[in-house]
Amino acid sequence: MIGLLERLWSDFLPLLWAGMAVNFEIAGIAIALGLAFGLALAFAHLRGGLIGTGAATAVTLMRAAPTFVVMFFLLNALPREISVSGVMIVALSLVPYSAAFVTDSSLDALRHLRSGSALAALQFLPNVMRAFFVLVMSSGAGAAIGVGEGISAILRQAEQLPALGDRLVLFAIGVASFGVPLQLGFLVLRFAQRRLGLRLTGRHSRRIG
Amino acid sequence: MGAMRAFAAARLALAILTLGLGMPAWARKTPAPDAALANLLEAARATTRTGCAQANTDRLVRIFCAGYIRIGVRDYYPLFATRTGDVREGYEVDVARALAAKLGVAIEFSRVNAASRIPLLAEDRIDLVIATMGHNTQRDGQVRFIRPHYYRSETVLVGPRELAISGWKDIAGRTVCVTIGNGSNASLVSHGARLLLFDEAGVLPERLKDGTCTLAAQDDSFFAEAFTHRGFAARFAPKFGFAQVPWGMAVERTGGEKLARALDLISQIFHRDGIFLELARRHQIAAGFLEEQQKVWRSPACDTDAGSTDSNCILPALDTALEPTRFAGAVAAFEDWFSSATGVELSLPMLTTVPAWSLLLSGVGNTLVLIGGALLATLLFALGIGAALSSTAGPLRWLARSVVILLQSSPIVLTLVVAAAVAHALFPFSAAVALGAAIAALGLANGSNAGQAIGEAMRTLRLEWPAQEQSASALFARAVGRSATQIVAFLINAAKGTPIASFIGAPELLSALTDITSFSSGRATTYTLLLIFYTLVVMLVVSVCRRLQAVLERGKAAS
Repeated sequence: MIGLLERLWSDFLPLLWAGMAVNFEIAGIAIALGLAFGLALAFAHLRGGLIGTGAATAVTLMRAAPTFVVMFFLLNALPREISVSGVMIVALSLVPYSAAFVTDSSLDALRHLRSGSALAALQFLPNVMRAFFVLVMSSGAGAAIGVGEGISAILRQAEQLPALGDRLVLFAIGVASFGVPLQLGFLVLRFAQRRLGLRLTGRHSRRIG
Repeated sequence: MGAMRAFAAARLALAILTLGLGMPAWARKTPAPDAALANLLEAARATTRTGCAQANTDRLVRIFCAGYIRIGVRDYYPLFATRTGDVREGYEVDVARALAAKLGVAIEFSRVNAASRIPLLAEDRIDLVIATMGHNTQRDGQVRFIRPHYYRSETVLVGPRELAISGWKDIAGRTVCVTIGNGSNASLVSHGARLLLFDEAGVLPERLKDGTCTLAAQDDSFFAEAFTHRGFAARFAPKFGFAQVPWGMAVERTGGEKLARALDLISQIFHRDGIFLELARRHQIAAGFLEEQQKVWRSPACDTDAGSTDSNCILPALDTALEPTRFAGAVAAFEDWFSSATGVELSLPMLTTVPAWSLLLSGVGNTLVLIGGALLATLLFALGIGAALSSTAGPLRWLARSVVILLQSSPIVLTLVVAAAVAHALFPFSAAVALGAAIAALGLANGSNAGQAIGEAMRTLRLEWPAQEQSASALFARAVGRSATQIVAFLINAAKGTPIASFIGAPELLSALTDITSFSSGRATTYTLLLIFYTLVVMLVVSVCRRLQAVLERGKAAS
């Protein structure tokens, strides 16, 4: 066991962390594109009429489209003249989810803002952060099309370990590597939400006072 | 002394006689194929005196009239045929030279590739093609293959040296990098391998080196060049081979009967005399097949002028024809109508052949089982984890909380892989085991989140309702109702996540269609239809779940 851990520490962890950086890169691209498309769809939705109906239909379809299938669709159905990297294909496959999420969240925020609850409206920011973490976790699907991200690194290492016990140790390290930043992220998110809430409620009470 | 000499002479005579009787036919007398070839070539040369200007002259005569033979070879197929400036090298190039020398004519090489080699023959721009062409039943209708075959390739599975893989039993559940359209992909699929598809074989060695692919399957003639590189050979090794394909030289089907016959006889002689074998060794390509063939063509039964038509001596063409479905004609008609009406090429390979149709049907069936199973598992795990999180027993609550944190911290792909690893350790690999593992993983991942929502709802209810007012079960029912939105959201998420089960070899629709497109065309159409199918199924699940949510919320309101 100690030998295995030493080997994993020296050989595997640098590869895993380098791979995880790709997961964050994919999530970053997906959330940026999701914000752009999602906000545009939200504005279109607010305009109502034919454009609004079109935007609502698009969001419904994007919500229903499974990310994994979208990824294979992009990989196989794009014309060969359009050369897109594996990282970009995974990021693009996550855009329907992130854009639909941003549209829903921004419309929610606007509704809260109109009803006078700025605090509830500001939930938009932590919601986007939460979506970012979901995207980091979902980007592991890239392993299925050969993108060299964190899950690929784990699976490559697992291929070299014939014993189930050793593999489970490896998987536990993988879960911890993804889980620690995720849980820390949520912790920071909760802290930021609390601070923001306190500040806003303080300002509100000062205004009332 | 004289008697001894007489005895020795008698022994020598006996030995020569014995040796003579025991010698193979090819070493005893003028061999039959050689005589037949000599007669054929002599007759053809004789015809050149009068027949060069005649129409319908056999190609062999035309070649003698021109003084050279036009041979199509590849420009870049390492070890087999490469060209640097005007210099051509490789096994096939040397075979072409040896053939021309045997015919006594010069050569004019032409560049061909996989797409152009047959059309160039049909257009009479070349007389002969020697260009890594596998002999299959489909091509038999397009060109006349020369028998015996001059080489045989097989698909070889290549992977890291330290990886213990010796046969099909080690393949199930593993990902193998392959090229689209490779006929051997179907064999990998039937043994439970997952395929990672690439457009070009050229990238496979690089993808092996950078770790994208742990295993790659491709023609051994393709990997032959990679294995000449010391670094590659030190890290990787062929694991096993399958799907043998004989390679044939070919001429046009009509107008070249004498040329084809002459080439048949020359091939036969080249095998028997080890010419092919020597050329293969010179270019360091696998020569096992040629060694076998030499034995065959040295045998008296095959070393005859009729050997190249004797089914006991020659190899059959590879049967690649897939049985069409009974509605294949209607599908083809619809494809044509659609293309002409819209200008968009439509290809529906999943409907035109029996293996593809059968894969499609089982894929749809398994997808529905998977979605139903994932929804049920999500609901059950949600209720179980929700109950554990709502328990008054501290250790049970903490255990449930740890499970929730663990599952939330694990990317779904990793959760699936862990479930598959455990399932495969307990049961032999099968489609049902992969489906079961996927259902468990999807249920756990989504059920833990939904269960957490139930637990949180229970906590708020306990604050609002004093303990004595409601029984634990009634309170739990209210908690389920209160968290209905979350439960429904995660049920939808579970349904949306089902295609990812293909990652661990569950034979659902994505997996089935990937398999179909690996040996047929129409990728764009196939994946577009797949996206439409899954989106519609998820929308249906959303609609059903919304009804469930309404029922749960009505129950909450009633209580």
